[in-house]
Amino acid sequence: MVLLSTPVDYLPIAMMFVVAIGFVLFVMFATHWMGPKHKSKVKLEAFECGIESKGNSRLPFSIKYFLIAILFVLFDVEVIFMYPWAVNFAEWSKHGLAAFGEMLVFLGLLVFGLIYIIRKGALKWE
Amino acid sequence: MKALIVIALLGVVTMMSEVFRFKKLLLPLVVVGLLAACGLAIGDWNTAIRYYSDMVYFDNYSLAFTSLIIVLTLLWLIISKGYFVSDSSRAEHATLILFTLCGGVIMTAYSDLSMFFVGLEILSISLYVLASSNKHDLKSNEAGMKYFLMGSFATGFLLFGMALIYGAAASFNLVKIAEYVQTTAAHGQTPMFVYTGVLLMMVGLMFKVSAAPFHFWAPDVYEGAPTLITAFMATVVKTAAFAAFYRLFSTCFGDISGFWAQTLAVISAVTMLTGNILAVSQTSLKRMLAYSSIAHAGYMLMAIVAMNKISGGAIFLYATAYSLGSLGAFACLHAISKYGDESIENLKGFAADNKIWAGLLGVIVLSLAGIPPVAGFFAKYYIFYGVFQSNFTWLVLVAILSSLIGVYYYFRIIITMVQPRSEKATVLPALTGAHKALLLISALLALGIGIYPAFLQGLLS
Amino acid sequence: MNSILQVIPLNYYVALAAILFSIGVMGVMFRRNAIIVFMCIELMLNAVNMLLTAFSTYHGDASGQVMVFFIMAVAAAEVAVGLAILVMIYNNIRTVDINELNKLKW
Repeated sequence: MVLLSTPVDYLPIAMMFVVAIGFVLFVMFATHWMGPKHKSKVKLEAFECGIESKGNSRLPFSIKYFLIAILFVLFDVEVIFMYPWAVNFAEWSKHGLAAFGEMLVFLGLLVFGLIYIIRKGALKWE
Repeated sequence: MKALIVIALLGVVTMMSEVFRFKKLLLPLVVVGLLAACGLAIGDWNTAIRYYSDMVYFDNYSLAFTSLIIVLTLLWLIISKGYFVSDSSRAEHATLILFTLCGGVIMTAYSDLSMFFVGLEILSISLYVLASSNKHDLKSNEAGMKYFLMGSFATGFLLFGMALIYGAAASFNLVKIAEYVQTTAAHGQTPMFVYTGVLLMMVGLMFKVSAAPFHFWAPDVYEGAPTLITAFMATVVKTAAFAAFYRLFSTCFGDISGFWAQTLAVISAVTMLTGNILAVSQTSLKRMLAYSSIAHAGYMLMAIVAMNKISGGAIFLYATAYSLGSLGAFACLHAISKYGDESIENLKGFAADNKIWAGLLGVIVLSLAGIPPVAGFFAKYYIFYGVFQSNFTWLVLVAILSSLIGVYYYFRIIITMVQPRSEKATVLPALTGAHKALLLISALLALGIGIYPAFLQGLLS
Repeated sequence: MNSILQVIPLNYYVALAAILFSIGVMGVMFRRNAIIVFMCIELMLNAVNMLLTAFSTYHGDASGQVMVFFIMAVAAAEVAVGLAILVMIYNNIRTVDINELNKLKW
């Protein structure tokens, strides 16, 4: 793995940033420009129907948000192990499929975790 | 290695047992799997293979400790039935116990600092959950929280130490670090990074094994956690932590022992004095056992201070004797504390009610105190002898003094046991068959090791 | 060929990591809100991560960076468990002030 790098090597990343931000801006302006607009007092309210909003919005929220957020973070973070694996995969794959199998074992364990979570009902929203 | 894989897969299978509805098979499965793992570990004896580009190294040292913690877990399972039956989340509890064990096995067998870290965390994270597993009991919540905060705080120190060592040696591999330390020490130019790193790792590890200036979390956590989990923490986890501590220091930092041995000697002396003196004044049996486990950590640190030919065997023998004794004592505590009161007064009248079992408890307590015919004495003897050979005579004197203090409160257990029951005392819960079985096994093993201690000691010398 | 990282002397990284780590330690010892204590522990771990990355670049050895991955993954799991314990405590006593956790004393 080459660790030495010059600022020029980061140019693709900068370009990707520009493209990503450009796409977001483009979509935002495009929807504004293309979509129909009807402005009225009722439409500008925070909530269109029901009782008028009052009080602090920082109320204790359902534990479900927490649970799902935590589960997301856990599974999300595991992806970083695939990064060094992917970088070295081209080299390893010359010597057979062992590297592929090892990643399958890793992902298999994660899938077992996912099955467990689903069967336990942790992802049920209602 | 096979044992490690079996335990890890067993953990996954038990986790699935609830969702795929074969919960009835849970305990038989765990017992059979652990027996198989133990057999595989013993079958690998004298092979010493390095696995996965030297990530783990199963030499005799790690195989011995692996078998020890598996056997201790099996013994622990005898009394743990209540923990797995009444609760709706028993599959999770079994899974977490197995993952803890898995982390423990990695900690005895690592050959790379990154593996050490991963093993330690697998062990710790499962234990945070187990310590707070009594959801509606505020004490258990608090124990889990304290354990979590202290544990991750200690991990921070350990990691900073590892980072500094890596900065000096450019590798996480224990063998390469050892080579680096040896060459630099031979030229008298050990870099500052290594010294600082060793100190920081020592701080982190001492948090984990609850040595003296860093022991404050231990009595609280031990008291708050469910009694069975406390028993597990005081035996299996402590053994694994010491195995890791000794492995790291004996492999890597033996050549600069002049730097850390004095510090560790003072800490070990302070640990055993603190543990033993504070244990004297406890009224709760559970808390007394917690302080006694701190004191025993002090004795085991002595083996790391000595760091000579016999200390590997000595620390193994000591861990075995101490864990067996503790398991027996905790079995008794668990039997009498069914109604939430863990006061030592509950033991009054114990001997009158069940003479045989009181006698066995007496044997176990004698072993913990270190009285001659039983295992504890020989464990202490080998440890003291090793330290004496390494010219830390003063440490041996302190250790003998603190053992005498220890004898005082251990005998208090025996004396309370033979006293007649006081009028207002509640009826003593009868020992169940499981508790009796564990008492019998641990007392017999303590006696057996006492008769032939050289076998266990000689395994690693 | 020097990268940007290597233009800065190694000592600066060590000093910065030590300072960050110390801030984390101070926070764990003196703050009383459990969430902030968690954040301080994360700060300690991230100081270590930065140090490892710096060393890894200077040695031209990738294992330090892989170690950083391990630390990040484990820290996520650890914090998940810690937050779960915290939520459990909050459900029982309705506060996250760790001074309220005083049932266990010697």
